[in-house]
Amino acid sequence: MKYGYQKTAAVLAALTAMTVALSACAGGNGNNSSAAPSPQQSGASETPADGKIVSSPLALTDYVQSGTLASGMKSFNDMAAYQETEKITGIHIDFRHPTVGQEKNQFNLLMSSGQYPDIIEWGWNDYPGGGVGAMNAGIIIPLNDYIDKYAPNLSKLLTDNPDIRKEISTDDGRIYAFPFLRSDPYLRTYQGLAIRQDWLDTLGLQVPTTIDEWHTVLQAFKTKDPNQNGKADEIPLLIAKDTLLNFSNVFLNAWGTTGRFNLQDGKVVFGPIQPAYKEFLQTMHDWYAEGLIDRDYAATDGKQKDAKWTGDVLGASELAVGGGIGKYTTAMAAKNPKFNLAGVPYPTLNKGDKPVLGQREPIFNSTGAAITKDNKHVIETVKWLDFKYGEVGHMLFNFGIEGKSYEMKDGYPTYTDEVMKNPDGLAFAAAIGKYAVPFGGPFVQDKRYQEQNASLPQQKAALNTWMAADNDGLLPPLTFTNEESARLAAIMTDVNTYRDEMFDKFVMGAEPLDNFDKFVKTIQGMGIQEALDIEQAAYDRYLKR
Amino acid sequence: MNILRGWSRHKYIYLMLLPVIVYYVVFLYLPMYGLQIAFKDFSPAKGVWGSPWVGFDHFVSFYDSYYFWRLIRNTVLISFYELIFGFPAPILLALLLNEIRVRIFRNVVQSITYLPHFISIVVVSGMMIDFLSSDGMINQLTGLLGLPSVSFLISPEWFRTIYVSSGIWQGVGWGSIIFLAAISGIDPSLYEAAKSDGAGRFRQIWHITLPGILPTIMIMLILRFGTLMAGGSMEKILLLYNSTTYETADVISTFVYRRGLLQMDYGFSAAIGLFNNVMNFLLLVAANRFSRKINNTSLW
Repeated sequence: MKYGYQKTAAVLAALTAMTVALSACAGGNGNNSSAAPSPQQSGASETPADGKIVSSPLALTDYVQSGTLASGMKSFNDMAAYQETEKITGIHIDFRHPTVGQEKNQFNLLMSSGQYPDIIEWGWNDYPGGGVGAMNAGIIIPLNDYIDKYAPNLSKLLTDNPDIRKEISTDDGRIYAFPFLRSDPYLRTYQGLAIRQDWLDTLGLQVPTTIDEWHTVLQAFKTKDPNQNGKADEIPLLIAKDTLLNFSNVFLNAWGTTGRFNLQDGKVVFGPIQPAYKEFLQTMHDWYAEGLIDRDYAATDGKQKDAKWTGDVLGASELAVGGGIGKYTTAMAAKNPKFNLAGVPYPTLNKGDKPVLGQREPIFNSTGAAITKDNKHVIETVKWLDFKYGEVGHMLFNFGIEGKSYEMKDGYPTYTDEVMKNPDGLAFAAAIGKYAVPFGGPFVQDKRYQEQNASLPQQKAALNTWMAADNDGLLPPLTFTNEESARLAAIMTDVNTYRDEMFDKFVMGAEPLDNFDKFVKTIQGMGIQEALDIEQAAYDRYLKR
Repeated sequence: MNILRGWSRHKYIYLMLLPVIVYYVVFLYLPMYGLQIAFKDFSPAKGVWGSPWVGFDHFVSFYDSYYFWRLIRNTVLISFYELIFGFPAPILLALLLNEIRVRIFRNVVQSITYLPHFISIVVVSGMMIDFLSSDGMINQLTGLLGLPSVSFLISPEWFRTIYVSSGIWQGVGWGSIIFLAAISGIDPSLYEAAKSDGAGRFRQIWHITLPGILPTIMIMLILRFGTLMAGGSMEKILLLYNSTTYETADVISTFVYRRGLLQMDYGFSAAIGLFNNVMNFLLLVAANRFSRKINNTSLW
C-alpha cells in the first residue's frame, strides 16, 4: 500500500531527526572544563598607525547585563557609543546578554560551564567569595601588570586617587576588574524615604525628622483623610524588609545600626543582635499594630507598590530617586496635579541630630569588567577596556554622541531634547540607552549625568537630603579567602533566613518581643561569632591595605 | 531465531521506542555521573572530576543545619496533605461523572473540570496572589459575610490549605481521566446482574465500580508514595511563598534551589537532592511491597 509506505517513511524521517537532535545535544553537553589555557600574549603590542588598537579586525566576546538595554535594541552593538568605540578601536565585540529576569541564574550557569567569553561584566559579589573567589578559582585573571603596562588612562586615575586603588584592590593588592566607579558622593546615594508633601500640606504638618514625628504624621495620614476622598483608605507607610535590612537602613538607622554587619566604635558588629535592634522592632511592631504600616508589606512586590503609589492611597515608603520619585511624579502628573513627593531625611531619635547611617554605595561595588582565562587577546582587551576611562570614552559612555544626544553648553555636556523630552515618549533611561549607558559599566560615572537624570526639583532636593548622613558605620567592601567565604556563606544563609522570618513575626506580633533574647541566642547558636571574627579579620586586613 | 524474527517483524515499533531510550540515556542516566559532586567540594573552575573529595561533609552539614527538621516536616506534611485530600478527589469526581446519564451535561462538566490543568503554574499562582491579597476577591466575598479580612499569603497557617486546595482545583479533572477510563473497562453485564439482584446506585458503586478500578487506584497510590519526599511542586511553592511563610512552606526542594542555584553551593545541593531521592526510592519500594502483600497489586 503506497499510502502506508509514505506514512512509515514520514515517521522514520521524524524519528531520525529527533535522534540526531538529541545526540547533538549530548555532544554539546559533553565539553567540560579541563586544561586551563594560560592567556597567550598574542598579537602585536605596538599600536597601529591609524590610532586603532589592532591592525587587523579582532572580535571579542563580552557577557554583559542586559537590564540596561533600551527597548528595540538587540545588543549593545546597536548603541551609538559602542558603534563609535568600534570605529575608533577597530575591535568588534560580540555581546552576549542574559535573558532579563534570569540574569543571576544564567550567570551562575555560565560560571559552572567551564567555558567563558573573553570579558565578563558583572557585579562580582554574585560569585561565591566575590571577584577574589572567581580569581582564585582561576576563572578570571589578575589585571595589575596589564593595567600598569597597557591601560594608561586607568593607571593615571589610580595613581592620582590612591583611595580608589584601595577600594578596587584585594587585600593582597590584586585587581580583578575594570571597575564601575562612582567617585562623586552625589552618585552614591540614591535611595531613602519619601513622603507625600501635598498630604503634609493638606494636614498642615512638617516633614518628619525624628521617629516620634514620624509617628504623629503617620497617625494623621491614617485618620485625617489626606487624599480627601471621604474614605479611610490611606496606607500611611509601606516598608520593604529586603531593602531595609540589606541595603538602605531606613528607620533602623535612627538607632545607629543596620540589618547586617556594620561598624561600631571601629569594631564589626552584627546589627540584628544589638539591643538597638529590639527597640527598632518594638517601634515597627507598634506602628504595625496601630495600622500605620501596610498590612501586606511582606507580600508586596514592585507592581503592587506601583499600584499603591499611583492609586493615591500610599503616604510614604522607601524610594529610589529615579525609579521611585521620578517615575511616580511623572506618572501622576496628569492624574493628580497636586501629587508631590518629598525626600525625607533619614530619621533620628533626637531632634536636630545628624543621621548616623543612610544608604550609600561604595565607590566600587564589585561591578566591573573582568578578563577570563579563556581570553587569547588580553592586551588588546585591556586597551579596549581602558579606552572608556579616557576623555573620549568617558564622554561617549556618559553622554553619547555630541550633537545628537548631548551638546556642550558653556562647557557643560547637556543632554538634548531627543533624550530629555523624547518625541516618542521614551523615559530618560530608555532614550539615552540608544546612545550611551551611563550606569553599571566599566568606566567612571559622571556627576553631570545624575544631575540631569534626576532633574526634577523634588529629585535634586531628595538626593541632597538623603546624602546628609554620617555613614561612618558602613563597612567598606571586604575581601575574603576561599575558606572564609565558604564558612561565611554557610553561616549567613541560615542566619539571614532566620532574621527575615523573625522580622515579620516580631513586627506582625506572631512572636512577642519578650522573645528577643531567644532570637539573639538562636543566632549565636548558628555561629554568628565565627562570622563576626571572619568579618573583623577581613576589615583589619582592609585597614592595612 | 525467534528473537531475530521478532526484531525484523516489529522493526518500526522498535524504532519508535528508540527516541524514548535515547531520551532516558541522554537526559537521565548520563547526567548521573554528576552525582559525585554530592561528595565533593565542587568548584566550577575545577570541574566535576577535578574537585576534591569531601566524603559525607555535605550530608552532615545538612543534618546539623538549623532548618533540617523543619524542612523534613514541611516536605512530608505538604505531600501528606496532598495525598489524603488530593488523591481521593479525582476518584470521587470520576465516580460522580460516571453516574451522570445526560451526555452533554457530563461532557461539559468534564471539560470544565480539566481545563485548569492547561493553565501554566505561573499564571495560576499569579491569579491566586491576586485573589488572596488582603483586598482581593476572596476577602471581598468573605467581607460581605462580615468576616474580617485575612492576609492569606503572609500567614504561615494558611499556606498548606492554599497550596493543597488550589492543587485539587487544578488537577482534579485531569486526574479523573485515568479512573474514568478504568471504569469504562468494567463489564456492563456486572451492573445488569447487580440491578436484577436489586442493588441500588450506591450498592453498585460499592460492589462493582470501586473493586473494578481498585488495581488502578493502588498503582496510582504506589506512584504517589514515590513522590512523598518531593514536597509538592517546587515551582508553585517558589511562586507562592515568601520569607513570612517559610515556616510551613519551605521544603527541601526550595531550600536546595536557594542554596544551590542562587548561592552556587552545588555540592551541598546535590547532596540534599541525593538524600531526598534515596528517601523517595525507599518509600516507593516499601509501598510497593506493602501493596503486593495486601492485595497482589504491584508495580513489579
